[in-house]
Amino acid sequence: MNDDRDTFAAEFMDDYYAECSEHLANVRRLLLQFDAVETAQPAPPHVIDELFRSFHSIKGVSGMVSLREAEALAHHMEDLLRALRRGETSLTAEGVDAIAAGVDLLERVIAARREARPLPAIDAAVQRLERVLQEPRDAGKPAGSPSALPDEPAWRITFTPSPALLERGINVDRVRERLREHGAITSATPRVAGGAIAFEFLFTGALDAATAAAWREDGLGIEPLEAREAVPVEAIEAAAQAGPSHVVRVDLTRLDELMRMIGELVISRARLESALAAVERHVPPVEWRAVQENAQTIERQLRDLREGVMRVRLVPVGELLRRVPFVVRDLTRESGKRVRLDLRGQGTEIDKFLIERMLDPVLHLVRNAVSHAFETADERIAAGKSPEGTLTLAASSLGDLVILEVADDGRGIDEPAVVARARAIGLDVPDPPLDRARLLELICAPGFSTRDETDRASGRGVGMAVVKTTVEDLNGHISLETSREGTRFVIELPLTLAITDALIAHVGDRMFAVPQTGVREVIAIDPASLRRVDRYEVAPFRGGSLPIVRLSDLFGVESRAVGLHAFVIGAGAEAVGVAVDRISGQREIVVRGMDDSLIRVAGVTGATDLGDGRAVLILDLAGLLRQRGARIARGLEAAS
Amino acid sequence: MERTLVVDDSPTIRRMVMASLREVCLGGFLEAASGLEACEKLALSPVSLIVLDLNMPDMHGLELLAFVRRHPALKSLPVIVLTTRADQESRGAAAAAGASLYLTKPFTPQHLAEQARGLLEAKP
Repeated sequence: MNDDRDTFAAEFMDDYYAECSEHLANVRRLLLQFDAVETAQPAPPHVIDELFRSFHSIKGVSGMVSLREAEALAHHMEDLLRALRRGETSLTAEGVDAIAAGVDLLERVIAARREARPLPAIDAAVQRLERVLQEPRDAGKPAGSPSALPDEPAWRITFTPSPALLERGINVDRVRERLREHGAITSATPRVAGGAIAFEFLFTGALDAATAAAWREDGLGIEPLEAREAVPVEAIEAAAQAGPSHVVRVDLTRLDELMRMIGELVISRARLESALAAVERHVPPVEWRAVQENAQTIERQLRDLREGVMRVRLVPVGELLRRVPFVVRDLTRESGKRVRLDLRGQGTEIDKFLIERMLDPVLHLVRNAVSHAFETADERIAAGKSPEGTLTLAASSLGDLVILEVADDGRGIDEPAVVARARAIGLDVPDPPLDRARLLELICAPGFSTRDETDRASGRGVGMAVVKTTVEDLNGHISLETSREGTRFVIELPLTLAITDALIAHVGDRMFAVPQTGVREVIAIDPASLRRVDRYEVAPFRGGSLPIVRLSDLFGVESRAVGLHAFVIGAGAEAVGVAVDRISGQREIVVRGMDDSLIRVAGVTGATDLGDGRAVLILDLAGLLRQRGARIARGLEAAS
Repeated sequence: MERTLVVDDSPTIRRMVMASLREVCLGGFLEAASGLEACEKLALSPVSLIVLDLNMPDMHGLELLAFVRRHPALKSLPVIVLTTRADQESRGAAAAAGASLYLTKPFTPQHLAEQARGLLEAKP
């Protein structure tokens, strides 16, 4: 029976994808309106209704094509929206987040089915939606509660469809549109009158004489209602108008697809380059120069095209920071602290994908700051600070990096408390003072939290550990400064993850690609200058010394190097050099993630094709050193 | 034989319904994406069967059904309710409103075709 259904459904898959992408685009547009609604306010009923319907349609149609995951996700969102519609729950920022995350996953599930890839797991998202549904309702009014009717005249409009009117293009949908252009429809009812079908609309809006005359011309009956005649509150309203007409909404998956095609182009060009290099000696110099110039032009244009498509994916950071004021307001109301919010650089543009991934971490840092960092007004005055704390969120871009800062002027991180807590959970910690990187490592340790778990600001399951791993998964870097004057987290992220400039490194007969974003600098090392400290090698570096890790040791490859080159990763006290035999140049590489958890190796983020058909591993040196580098640093501390 | 009116806000489902019923409903099809649009189609063309989704943008499917049952010329028209809701409550409400048949999505084309054939053959 199911097989029959699948055979049947196969013919309709294109319809299915098209319809879902339309619904999902609509859903995204509607979700934007939630951000404009303060969480304490009820969500506009027509927005809830429309969302509900979109998910309901996706559920029904996904069931027909046997895409169970999409059906289940849509079903849970529908449940949540139904509860909102009935006023059984109210919309929290977490609720909006859960819906947004669900929509993303739904999109990925449908895309995976379309590309015949394994479907992503949905359990976590489903549980999250269930959790939101079970949250007790706060004092907010239920969604869909009566909103005051506009103080405008009300009318009863009747319309009787006829073949003659239909020929002039006047049908019920056209009438509905017209009414919406001039006001709001509060109800629409079909009536049977003398065997014929007529429609009765109750409508509020300003009608001028000319419009009324034109409508009567088209067969509409118009009579004013008594001002006090009851009008049903459930307004059937057009959804808010989409943005101005010069804006086009594009499904992110389409942009991903474009990016993938450009990736293919980059690889093809690299292949052409190798092929050209092979024939160079057979071509007379003059002709060769022409070939070279064309090849370089193509390379430049391809780079421009790539940047152009990347720019299309960029959205202002403001979208990420929009919910921060609500979070801060809710928390300060609970704690009685006074906090001023300073948002800077909201126009900085950042990849849509990064926005979605960074939302939870940023909100967590904000909650942390408000709950832990800021003193009460009295404490602040006693410490000679202004009674009101300032929380600064700043975004800026630097070349290929986006920098996000979350800074407070609170009491700073209590180092002894952190150390005590870290030891309590069994971490091996030297005596204070610690350097900042070490302190950050401790507060980001899994299971670390200096407060009671019931504390609201534990961030609903997002701990500092998650903040750190999210940033590092995005090939970014997080650092910390803290003193009695406040605490500052700085997050650096590469602008994009799809195509990047990498240095090609060789160890023995192996080649690796190292993305430049994580590399501070590249240095040449004279092997003779290396000295051993304990079990580690150290190279002289800027008047101090730099611990060296040989990539050949990490990958068990035999090095044949006479000299060495090293990538310097990390800054200050946590800088480490990763030594390779040689670096043969810089290339654009297409990063292909390794989704298969079975072949996930720490420090390998993916693979790329350099154009000669061979797969080359892409290294995440920071990840590679996450475990080892820390140990090295500790070993050196112990030895010195 | 008159046409069959397929009412569902999902164009994909409408196409699936029509593909399932192609060999049963020989009079062809009319489509409506909303309740009001369905009323209008009913006002302007004779139909012999309605296949109806319950969740629609402007009026609930059951309202449309009640409207059809009140209408002197339409009240005996066979109406198949086709919905994702499988609970007894919805079934009861649809039966009370005068649904001839209640089928849940996902449906198989064979099953829908059989049921529709049965209804059309039983028509006086």
